[in-house]
Order: sequence, then structure tokens, then C-alpha cells
Amino acid sequence: MITLRRISQILFFALFVLLFLQARYPYETGLPSDLFLRASPLIALTTMLASRAFITTTILALVILALTIPLGRFFCGWICPLGTVIDASDHFIQRKRRPARQRESLRLRSWKFALLILLLVAALFSLQLTWFLDPIALLTRTFTTVLYPMFTYALTGLFNFAFKLQIAEDQVYALYDAAQRAALLPFQQPKFLETLPMVVIFIVILGLGMVTRRFWCRNLCPLGALLGLFSKYRLTRRFVSPACTQCSICQRDCKMNAIEDDYSINNTVECIECAECVSVCKPQAISYRWGVNPGANEIDLSRRRLLQAAAAGIAAVALVKTAAASRNRTGLAMRPPGSLNEDQFLDRCIRCQACSKICASTGACLQPAFGEAGLEGVWTPIAVPRLGYCEYSCNLCGQVCPTGAIQPLALEEKNKIKMGLAFFDKSRCIPWYRQDDCLVCEEHCPLSDKAIKFDIREARAPDGSMRTVKFPYVVEDLCIGCGICENKCPVVGAPGIFVTAAQQKRITL
Amino acid sequence: MQDIDRRDFLRKSLVAGAVLTTCPTWLDAALPDSDLVVARNGAPAEMVRQAVAALGGMSQFVKKGDSVLLKPNIGWDRLPEQAANTNPEAVAEVVKLCLEAGAGKVRVLDRTCNEPRRCYMRSGIEAAAKAAGAEVRHIVESRFQDVAIPDGELIKSWPVYRDAIESDVIINIPIAKDHNISRVTLGFKNMMGVLGGDRGALHDKFMTKIVDINLAFKPSLTIIDGYRTLMRNGPTGGNLADVAQKKTIIISADRVAADAFAMQLFDINPAEVEYLRIAERRGLGHLDLKRVKVKEINFGA
Repeated sequence: MITLRRISQILFFALFVLLFLQARYPYETGLPSDLFLRASPLIALTTMLASRAFITTTILALVILALTIPLGRFFCGWICPLGTVIDASDHFIQRKRRPARQRESLRLRSWKFALLILLLVAALFSLQLTWFLDPIALLTRTFTTVLYPMFTYALTGLFNFAFKLQIAEDQVYALYDAAQRAALLPFQQPKFLETLPMVVIFIVILGLGMVTRRFWCRNLCPLGALLGLFSKYRLTRRFVSPACTQCSICQRDCKMNAIEDDYSINNTVECIECAECVSVCKPQAISYRWGVNPGANEIDLSRRRLLQAAAAGIAAVALVKTAAASRNRTGLAMRPPGSLNEDQFLDRCIRCQACSKICASTGACLQPAFGEAGLEGVWTPIAVPRLGYCEYSCNLCGQVCPTGAIQPLALEEKNKIKMGLAFFDKSRCIPWYRQDDCLVCEEHCPLSDKAIKFDIREARAPDGSMRTVKFPYVVEDLCIGCGICENKCPVVGAPGIFVTAAQQKRITL
Repeated sequence: MQDIDRRDFLRKSLVAGAVLTTCPTWLDAALPDSDLVVARNGAPAEMVRQAVAALGGMSQFVKKGDSVLLKPNIGWDRLPEQAANTNPEAVAEVVKLCLEAGAGKVRVLDRTCNEPRRCYMRSGIEAAAKAAGAEVRHIVESRFQDVAIPDGELIKSWPVYRDAIESDVIINIPIAKDHNISRVTLGFKNMMGVLGGDRGALHDKFMTKIVDINLAFKPSLTIIDGYRTLMRNGPTGGNLADVAQKKTIIISADRVAADAFAMQLFDINPAEVEYLRIAERRGLGHLDLKRVKVKEINFGA
């Protein structure tokens, strides 16, 4: 059974990676890259609660939740890709089990329930906080902004080295081409803002494995807590036969610390059915069977803790909703085309960065925000044109959003949606400040009635001479705010043309 | 050593000055007349084939075993009808002609402005050139190499793609388009597609820099695609109403003459185009079309 579980973990993790990788232009496989995100019941519940809407894409999550009632936390033990990563990392960190630590940390188990209550209460008052802790959103985000860029940087470095050698270039290129076609390598190295805090969080989560195995899953994961609540009355049980010699090895080796001091009893809220106990039991006394567990199914959440968590949730709502944000910066928060209005957007966005991932393969403008969208909008996607621009013939971000915060749009529709508006900074734009021709912005403007036009006028140059100069300006009604002008502006540092969120068009459901 | 007296100095200076001021005319006079072929009103492939034949055949330019770099414009994420990239059928035909002339390999590439795969796929050039037998390659950033341009006025060196340095033959296949920086974009502008570095920096004092850059390589042949011509909102285009069906192919080994002649598509007097004047002054070819023998092929007649 343990072999079967490992195979399942590996297969689901491989599927996660595959779906992640193929989320890139041209996105031709037809496989939904947000499948795992849609399968998280925590994302489904909090998003629907916060947005007060039924989100059809999350049906898979409801199926999983329903299956959890009879089957228990199979998702945690057999499917969850973060669980698999943690298992692998635990294996790497901790070769020897430390039995003394095992029963010490029982108190911490209640934390995950408290966090779950906090998230649900916050969602009830329209504050989406799930993004911070949902394991699937967290892993997708970390893959996008940290792990995949690191991987491609290393692989690209290897290819660059091979190209520099100038040996067997055709073969090297064939490999390089194959790596790109297989979506292992991107066409441009993805680079993201906010990587540092994201990588710190990820390292902490893995590093907690030094305290106990699956520390995150045992004590912190609110999705695990939710599935635990649903699996309390599960119909599978761990059966211990009289062959048991009371050696305690199963209790010591239990990843979730779910086995009680009476080894024949385990906690149905905590057990993830990983079958580690089945495989370590020398007399082979343990098996999983259909049936109701004989006892010890309590949830580690006192009434006091529940009230504390609920109060914390309400406090969090008040705190976040009343935090001020600089208007200079919020004016730069250009949302992806097809985004819902800001309130509805924030209710739904789970900061998984699936949109940024696929955007990085085309125009590469989407980045996790920090101050631009206020405290409530931390790590929500915004367009940062100096780093990338919205590709005119691309509408992929809306196709991979698991919660509909970005609505999928047909290309013709998307081409008409205004993300923002460009402005010239005449103190930095080359024709305006030193009377030389440039027009790189006009060259790249993708509209077929160019939103950047120019006047040809005589002007006095800094050296006193008169010359004919093309002075560019923006036509407000034509500009869609794609940001390619700002991206390609050759001025070093702050650009001569920049895009703000002015006049951006949002969708209201 | 003999001292130079004032009279001698003045005399010598005057002579030197006269030589220097008339030098460009000398250079121009020293260049033999150029040949140019213009084909009209045919399909892209047949026009290319006949025009090359009229110029003496591809074997004039491509020898057996040569490595050939074809440089079409694949800069934009646009469809062939939108006329922002070189006509794929024209590119494919040039590939065939090179291979028929015995080329060892023919490579097609461009450093794009939009996302590379989008450009290669949607332009139709990747598929067409591959089917014709070319190697279609994406740009690999580590394959640029700094090239010295000792005669450059403002640009003294620039990173150039190794294929443009190492190929035996370069054939430049631009599409003629409206372009507000250089008036229109033709052969000179198209060669920017083999440049690395920050190309945006070239657009300031563009007219001088574009000629500087073109000193870094010598295309054996310039084939200008004027089949569909983007008359407004270039170089990106997008609106079919901006595309005129000019059905013209212009080819010449003289890159200045080719660009100058193609100005006709836009009713522009080539003598008014600054980069062509600079290019002629530097001896890169004939701007004066009286020095160009033009052969016309008309498929419509």
C-alpha cells in the first residue's frame, strides 16, 4: 500500500509539474493548468464565501470534499503536491526519527484549526486571506516566482556554456530547441518581484521538517484542517490485529502523529492514510479496512481557541480594510485585462500567480504587487510595464485564473479592453527634453490606428540651432494601456512614457 | 628634414581640402553602375524566381557549399495579410533558390520585437522556410559577439549575431513598410534584426546610426518584399485597410539602390531620405538612380 501511495504521490506531483510547465504560450495542450487550484476545497469555500457567488470552476474541489467524508484525508497523503514536496524534503532533512519529539508537539495541532476559522471568518466579511496559506496556491506561487526561474536560469546557463564552446552547435541547438518545445525552457528568463519573501516562507515551511515530519501538514495547513473536519466520520479505518506486539514503532513513525498511546486507535481527523504504519509494522498487524473508527476522533480545538480565532479573523478584516495606501502607487496598479472590479477581484484572487506564469511566456508584464494594490492587495497581479508589456494578441491570463478574478476573454474583446492609459513625461522624453527624434514608442504601439501620434515642428535645440522634430503625444481614446511603449522606451531609468491605471476598464459580475 | 614654408603649407592644405570635399563624388564615381530588377503583378514566389534569374541567377551570389543567412523581417506577432513581416512565400522561394544554387545550408532567423515564438509561428515564415529546406533558428542570447565598426561615426562597435558574422552569404529580405522613425523600413532597417544589445538606444540620431550599423556586414543581395505593403500605422500594422496590394519585388546587390528604388512604393523622393544620403556618402551604393540599370518584369502584362 505504501508503494501504491508513493506512486500516487509521484504521479500527481508529476501532473502538477506538467500542468505548470505547459501553462505558456501557445497553451496548446488543452489541459487546464489550474486543475490543482480548482481542486482545493479551501480555495473553493473561502472564495465563494468572500465573493458570495457560486464559482463553477471549483466543482472539482467540492467533489474532493464530498469524497473526504467517507475516505478521509486521502488528498493530503496521496495527492497534495506540497505534501509530496514536504515528504521528500523531510526525507532529505531528517534521516533519523526522533521519537522523543513525537508526542511533544501535540498542542500545536490546534493551530491549523484556528487558522482555518480565521480564514473562514475573514472570508465571511469579504476579506480573502486564503492565498497566504492554501498549500496549492502557495506551491503554484513558489513554483512560478522562485523554483521555475531558478531552474531555467541554471539550464540556460548550461546551454550558454555549450554554445560558447562552439562545438557540435547543431546538436546543442537541437537539444535547446527540444527543451523549449517541451516547455522546460522559456524563451525569456522569467524574473519576478517579491521573490525574497516568497522564498523565505517556502524555506521556513520545509525547514520546519527539522522539528517534526510534516510539521506544516500537522500544525499549520488550513486545507488539512478543513479536510480533517470532513474526515472525522470517515468510513475507512486503520485496523490493528492481535498480532501487535506493542512495539510503538508505528506511533514513532507516524508522519501526522495520529496514533494514540493505545496503538490500535488513531485519530481520524489527523490520519492522512499514508500507510507508513502498515509498512513499518514487523508482525504485519496493521491494515486499512472499511468501517468506523473505534474512538479518539476529537478535534483539537477548544471553544476558547475557536472564539479567539474568530475574533482574530474579524480584527484582521478591520485592520486590512482600514490600512491606507499611497495614491501615487495605487494609481499604478494596472490589473490584467478582463479583471473584475477591484472589490470583486480582491474577493477572488488567491495570488497563485498562475496568470504571471503564463504571462512570463509572452509579454511578461504581470508581477505580484506589493504596495501598489494596498495591504489587501499584497501579491495580487499587476502589470509592471517597465519589466514587460501586455502582448496585444494574447489573452491567456484569463484562461488560467482558477477563480475567475480575471475573466476569460475572446481576443477581439480583450483587444478593446483598456488596462490603463499612457502619459508622456516631457522632462524625460527625448524629443521633448532635448529636441531629438526618437519615436520608439510609436514604432511599437500595436494599435492599427496608433495611439501615439506626433506633430512635426521646428524647435530650438539645446545648442541654439533650429531643427525639425517629431513630438509624440497620446490619443486617449485609442490607448489601451498595454505598456509596450513604456517597456521599449530607450530612456535609461524612469521612462519618457509611462502607463497608469487611469481609465482602466473592469468587469462587474 | 625640410621645413615647410607658409606658401607651401597653404597650397598643400588647399589641395587636401579639395580632395576631401570631392572625395564622396570620387567614391561614387569609382563604384560601377548597379543592376536592379523589379518584378510586378505576379505571385510572390514567381516574382522572386524571375527577378533573381534576370539578375543573372542565384549562382552569382551563392557558391556551392556556401552557408547562407536569410534575414527576413519576422519582428512582429502578425499574420501575413497584415503585412508586418516578410511574405513567407517569398522567403521560401529564396530558400529554394539558394539550395538549387548549391548552398550547404540556409538559415533563417530574426531577433523579434514581440515574443519570438508568436512571431515565428504567426508570420508563417517558420513553417514555409522549413518546408523549403531551411534551418529556422531562434536567437540564442549567448551567440552575439561584439563587432568593431572602425568607420562608424557614432557607433564604434555593436554585438552582432554570429550567423551574420560567420555566414558566407547574407541575403536581406525586408518587407517595405511605413515606419515613422526612418520614414519607411527597408533593407537598412531590417538588418537591425541581427543586432544584440539595447537596440532602442539606436533610435536616437537614428539616421547616422543605422548607416554605422550597416557597415558591420555586407549583404550580397537585398530582396525587398513589396507584395503587400503597409502604408500606415507601421511597422506593426494590424488593420487590413492600411495594407496596399503593391505586388512588387525589388532586388539588387546594391543595398542603397534597392532601398532608394523602393521609396517609389511610398511616393517618397529617395534623395530626401537622410539615411540614404549618408549611406551614399560613405560609398555603400548608389542613391542616384541614374547610376542604376533597372530591368522591369511585369507578370500582369
